[in-house]
Amino acid sequence: MDTDGRVILYNVTVRYGRRVALEAVSGEFVAGSLTAVVGANGAGKSTLLAAIAGVVRLAGGVVNCAAHRRLAYLPQLTAIDRDYPLTVAELIALGGWREFGAFRSPGAALRARAAAAGQTVGLAERLGQPIAEISVGELQRALFARLVLQDAAVILLDEPFAAIDAQTVPVLLDQVTRWHQEGRTVIAVMHDLDLVQARFPATLVLARRCLAWGPTEIALPAMTA
Amino acid sequence: MSLHALILEPFQTLAFMRAALVACLALALMNGAVGTLLVLRRMSLDGEVLGHAVMPGAAVGFLYAGPSLLWLSLGGLASGLAVAALGGLIARGGGRRDAGLVAFYLVALSLGVALVAWRGSNVDVMRVLFGTVLAIDRQALLQIAAVSSIIVLVIAALYRPLAVGAVDPAFLRAVGARAPYGAVFSTLVVLGLVASFQAFGTLLAVGPMLLPAAAARCWGLGAAGSMALATGFGLAASVTGLLVSYHVGLPSGPAIVLAAGLLFGISLALANGWSRLTPMIWRGA
Repeated sequence: MDTDGRVILYNVTVRYGRRVALEAVSGEFVAGSLTAVVGANGAGKSTLLAAIAGVVRLAGGVVNCAAHRRLAYLPQLTAIDRDYPLTVAELIALGGWREFGAFRSPGAALRARAAAAGQTVGLAERLGQPIAEISVGELQRALFARLVLQDAAVILLDEPFAAIDAQTVPVLLDQVTRWHQEGRTVIAVMHDLDLVQARFPATLVLARRCLAWGPTEIALPAMTA
Repeated sequence: MSLHALILEPFQTLAFMRAALVACLALALMNGAVGTLLVLRRMSLDGEVLGHAVMPGAAVGFLYAGPSLLWLSLGGLASGLAVAALGGLIARGGGRRDAGLVAFYLVALSLGVALVAWRGSNVDVMRVLFGTVLAIDRQALLQIAAVSSIIVLVIAALYRPLAVGAVDPAFLRAVGARAPYGAVFSTLVVLGLVASFQAFGTLLAVGPMLLPAAAARCWGLGAAGSMALATGFGLAASVTGLLVSYHVGLPSGPAIVLAAGLLFGISLALANGWSRLTPMIWRGA
C-alpha cells in the first residue's frame, strides 16, 4: 500500500449528551494490521469506528489517520433504501464513485471490475437483479464487493457478520483475509469470539475505556476474565 | 359525434384550449422527472406540504400587486423555499418530521386563504387554490416552459448524486460528495410547484406531479423507465382531463388530476393483479 494505513488514537473521548460512550482511548492500529474490536453491549465499539470514520464529533482527543481520504466504513445499520430500482451490479459499481464522480458514468473497465468483485463474493448470478429482490446476506456480500472497489487503505467494518446466514460468513471472512494479505488496515467490530480467535491476529477489548490491546492470544482473555 | 369533433376540434378552434394543452404538456415533462424522484426519495409528503407552502407567499404577492403572475410566482417561490429550509432544520434537529411538516401545511394553507380573502374576492381564493388552466396567457406559457426546461436540465445534470442520495445517503457523504443535493432537490420541487401553480392552484399543483409518478412506480421499472412512463401518464392525463372538462363542462384542473388518479388506480390494480397472476401462469405451464 502506497498510502500510510496507520490509525493513531490519542485520548479519544466521545459523549452522547451526558453519557460517556468512549473515554480516553489511546493506541495505534499498525498499517496493514487486522484487528477485532470486542466488548459488551454499550462498550463503545461502534462509537470507536464512527470516531475513526469521522462521523461523530469527538469530545476530546485526536484521531490521526493519514489515509482519511482512502478510508471505507461499513456501518452496522446501513440506511440503504432497498425499494430503489438499482441492480446489484450498479450498487457494487458505486464503490468507484471517486473515479467517475457525480457527473460521469462508470466506464467499461470499472463495470468489469464491479462484475469481478461481485463474482469473488459469490454474486455472479445476481448482478442483474434489483437490490429489492436479494437476501440480507446477499446485500452484505454486495456491500463487501463495493468496499473492494473503493480500494481503501483503511477498512472499518461494524459487526459485518451480525444476522448474516451461515453460508455467507466464510465468504466474507475470506474477503477480510484477502484485504489483510493485500496490506490494508482492517478494523472490525466482532461478537463471535471463536471467529476472533481463529481469524484475527490482533484484538482491542473495550469497556468504554481500552481494557486490552495487542496480539489476540494475549488481549482476548481480558474479555472473558 | 365524430372522433375528429371529439378529440381534435376543441384544440383546433379554441386558442385557450391550445395554450392549456401546451402548458400541461410542458408541466408533464417536468413532473415526470421531479415526481419520480419525489416518490423514490420517499418525499411525497414533503411535496404535498411544499405545494401548500407556496400559498402564503403567493397571497402576499397578490396583496402587493394584484393578480400579477410575476409577483404571485416570486412570493410563492420565497415562502416555498422558506418552508423547505425550515423542514430541513426540523429534520436535523431530530424532531418529529412528519408532524412538523403537517403543521407547516395547515398553517401555510390557512394563512394563504386568510390573506387572499382579506383583500380579494371568493373568486380570487378559488383561483389561488385550484388554478386557472384555461386562462393561461402568453407570458404564463413562457414562464411555465422556461422553468420546466431548467428543472429538467438540472435533474439531467445532477441525476447520479440525486439517485445515490436516495439509496444510500451516508455512502454519498462518505465518498466526499458533500454538496447539499437534498436542498437542491427541494428547490427544484418548489420551482416546479410554482410553475404549476397558475394552472393547478396551490391545492392541486402536487397532483400532476405525484399521481403519474406513483402510477408509473407500480410497474416495477428502473428509475429512467419510471420517469419516462410517468411523463407519458402525465401527458395522457392532461389530454384526457382537458377533453373531459371541455365536453362535460367540468373544471379542467380537477379533471386532469382525476384522470391522473384514475391512471394510478388502474396501475395499482393491474400491477397487483399481474404479480398475483404470473405465478399461477407459471404453475399452469
